[in-house]
Parts: sequence; structure tokens; C-alpha cells
Amino acid sequence: MSALQADLNAFGRAIVHNDEPSFAITGNYQSYSSLVAMEIYRNNYRGNLHDVLAGAYPVIKQLVGDDFFRFMTRKYIERHPSHSGNLHHYGADLAQFLTTFEPANSLVYIADVAELEWACHTAYFADDGATLDIGRLALIPPDQYENLILHLHPSCFVVRSQYPIATIWQSHQPGACSNFHIELDSGASIALVNRLADVVQVTEVAADVADWLDFLQAGEPMGSATEATLANYPDFDLFCALQRLVTQQLLTKIELREKK
Amino acid sequence: MGSPAKQTLPCTAGIGLRAPHYREVLQNLPQLGWVEVHSENFFGGGAPLHTLLKVREHYPVSLHGVGMGLASATALDEEHLNALKLLCARVEPAALSEHLCWNHTSGMVIPDLLPFPYTTEALDNVVRRVAHVQEKLGRQLLVENLSSYLSFQNSEMTEGEFLAELARRSGCGILFDVENLYVNVRNLGVNAADFIKAIPAESVKEYHLAGFSERDGCLVDTHNQPVYDEVWKLYETVLHHLGPRPTLIEWDSDIPQLPVLLAEVEKAQHYLEVCDVCITG
Repeated sequence: MSALQADLNAFGRAIVHNDEPSFAITGNYQSYSSLVAMEIYRNNYRGNLHDVLAGAYPVIKQLVGDDFFRFMTRKYIERHPSHSGNLHHYGADLAQFLTTFEPANSLVYIADVAELEWACHTAYFADDGATLDIGRLALIPPDQYENLILHLHPSCFVVRSQYPIATIWQSHQPGACSNFHIELDSGASIALVNRLADVVQVTEVAADVADWLDFLQAGEPMGSATEATLANYPDFDLFCALQRLVTQQLLTKIELREKK
Repeated sequence: MGSPAKQTLPCTAGIGLRAPHYREVLQNLPQLGWVEVHSENFFGGGAPLHTLLKVREHYPVSLHGVGMGLASATALDEEHLNALKLLCARVEPAALSEHLCWNHTSGMVIPDLLPFPYTTEALDNVVRRVAHVQEKLGRQLLVENLSSYLSFQNSEMTEGEFLAELARRSGCGILFDVENLYVNVRNLGVNAADFIKAIPAESVKEYHLAGFSERDGCLVDTHNQPVYDEVWKLYETVLHHLGPRPTLIEWDSDIPQLPVLLAEVEKAQHYLEVCDVCITG
């Protein structure tokens, strides 16, 4: 290892793991000591990552309160260092972390809400899909519809929960009515996330449509995606599902799969 | 395209444009020479990029990176560089800059602007990395001097000498952050006159001005205050020796109402217009 690498690694450990700085730093400055300097770097480190998480998880922060959020993220930061110079990548594992974070056990839905917020965060930065050219559909003979590949917008995500996470999310948005009441045993809900005119929206979606969207996102042509959905949900309404794709601008491209 | 963004930065004052002011700036189009944004906030595209592209129709845009970690002793993060390259192609920025600091170490990224020892080994490393970035992006990179809270005993040169040598060897430009120099003067006892003397005027392409705060006797580069009188004074000295350049007002936390920033811009503009330049070789 080069001298430079050794110095920077030691500096990094001193910040992240609170190690004693083993590299040669000047001990005293104009009006403070190296101990103060190291504490500033350690605080910056934790503070910056806390702020990143607060930016990505505003609903979680409201649900648990600022102090608990700081405590909770501090534990997360200790276990999950950042791996990217792009801080919008930081925090992807928070939902997973919360499933085993005992102090938050009483908030049974918190990990699912975190998963939904991460989907929203990702949707906000997701690239634009192609602009749908619906005229292309008229050029395709109807007997070929089963071979259509429907490309969904890159900001489209489906998040499933045993709890009403879409309602919880919506009631914690700016301007939402504050005296809400959520029936936790109101049953499972499935949230559909997408970005429309630069705004991330969360709507609810039925289980059959959610499964169908999953099949489409996995690259299944419309015919087999619909068949597989109908196998579990005989009442699945393909026309309604297609309408939703168009009205919510979830559809970016229609392609005819090449015959093998 | 005849938009202003393709030109180089005008030699006027601009602001660091942050999310709370996007809407107001786009609505009122205040008189501003240019704006600077943090590159990483627009990686990946999506909603933020749409806003930036609207801004770019009205103002030259400078992309200022905080995450490249030019002085890290690891391989350059190619994924990061690719994202920056794509952003440059979309935005066609009037200037592109990064900091003289490191952030990557053995599998971790520390989200901060960290100092390093100013050794010949470190210089070779940064020269190599800056050259790689410039080659990949096909344009000049401006590199900004750092505000530091500690210094390394094994440094073989000053930051000013390091930066001058980096510019000479890599062909990069220098983004001279006047507040960072002031912080280093007060914290580390850096000699401001020596620093200014070390910097080649022709390499300086941009200035930054900002406010700082104080913690346990140490000045911290928090960008949460107006520019202090001492920093304005130092700016005047820098202008005198190195000449007028595009100047940015940075304000990143406790962000005030837009008119407060615009008043700072007007002040910087005044300094730029009246500066008495005496460039000594």
C-alpha cells in the first residue's frame, strides 16, 4: 500500500469508525486542537448522511419524530457506509434495516412505508421513458396483440404491503389533512408509484393489475402476461388495466415481439 | 443552439441555484449573470433535470461536482464519471468544476470534502486523475481549493503550490474559493499573500464567495451565512492580484429568500466592476 493510501485509509477509519487518527496530523492549530478537527469531520459525516436520509424518507421522519429519526439513522449509518459519490444512491437498504430494528417494532408498517418512499425517491430521479406513439398501435393487426411488448415508464414501481401504506403516504404529504385516522387492520394494499409531469404520485392498485404490471415489467408479452394474471384472477379486466396505463402515462413504448 | 448556456461563463456574479429557489427564478427570471448547480443532484435525469434544462434556456449554467473525490487514492469511479459525461452532454455547461479533495477509501465513500497530504505522490495521483477526467469529458475541468480543519505533517508543499503545479501539469483551470482560503488562514495559519502569489492568474477561471460558522474555535465551511466583511476584503485583494473572473455566491443551508442572495450578487458585481487590477508576473 502506498503512503498516500495508508494516510487516507487511516483518516477514513478515524471518521467512520471513530478510530484514533494513526496518520501524522498537526496537533494544534490557531485556536483549536486536532481533537476538535476530527470531531468536526465525524459530525459532518454523520450529519451529511442523516440529511440525505431525511431527504429521501420524509414520511418516515414524520412518523417517528425528529429525535427518533436521528437515533435510528445513526444506527443505520454505523452499519451501512456509503458506497457512491452520488448521495442519491444512499439509503437503499433502510427498509431491510427496519425489519430487524427492534426499537421501531411497534410501528409494524414502517419497513413497508420505507420501501414505498425509496420507490418514490428512485422514481423522482428515474430517466424519462420514450414518448408513447399510440398511432403505432393502429399499424398492428389485432391478431398480433398477444405479441405486444408494453414498456412501462422507468419511474413505475409496485409496492405491496399488509398495511394501508398508500393512505399513510398520502396523509403525510405537504398540505394533507393532519387529523387523519388510519385503520391498520383495514387490510393489505398495493401502491403504484410513478412520475407524472415531474411530480411523483402514489395511487392504489388492485392485486390483479399489480401482478399483470409485474409480468409486463419482467418483459412478458401482453398475451402471456394476461393469461398468467387470469389464471389467478379470473375477473381481471384487461381493458380497464390498459386504460389505466394510458391515463397515468405509464406506457412509454409498444413493440411487436419478433417471432422466433 | 443559440442559447446562452453554450458560451463560457460571463465575468459577472452568479448564484448557486438550490431547490428552494427553482420556481421563483424560473418565474421572475432575475437579472443574474449565470448560475451554478451541484452536478450530482441531476445525475440520472428525471424531474430535477427537466428543471435544470428550463433554467439553462435563460442562464449559462456551471456544473459543480462534490462527489468525484479527485484526490482519492483509488481507481476513479467510472460509473460516476459516465453519469457526469451524460449530464454534460445534456446540459452543455459553461463551466465544469470539482474540488481538490478525496472521498473514496477501501470500499467506502465519505460524503465530505476531505484534505490530504500535499506530497509529490499525491500530486502525481491527482494529475493523473484530472487528466483522465478531462480526456473522458473532452473539456477543461476547474479544480477548487479546499477549506480544511486539519493539516498533515508530511506535506511537502503548500496547497497553493500544489494547485499551481496541478494546473501546469494537467492543464486544468483553478476555481479560487476566497472563503476557503480565509477559513484556512484563520484555522491553519495559511499565509494568504503566499497563497495568492503561488496561483497563476491565467489559470484562474472562477471565484467562490460564501459564509462560514464557528465551532469550538474552528471556522467551518457551512455556507449558511452572508459573506463576511473579512472575506469581501480578501476578495478585493485577490481581484487586485489575479484580476476579475466570474464570481459565485454560495449558500447551501439555512437558505434565505432569493432577494438576500441577489443583494449579495449585486455586491460582488460592484467589486468586480471597480476592482483595481495590478497583476504582477
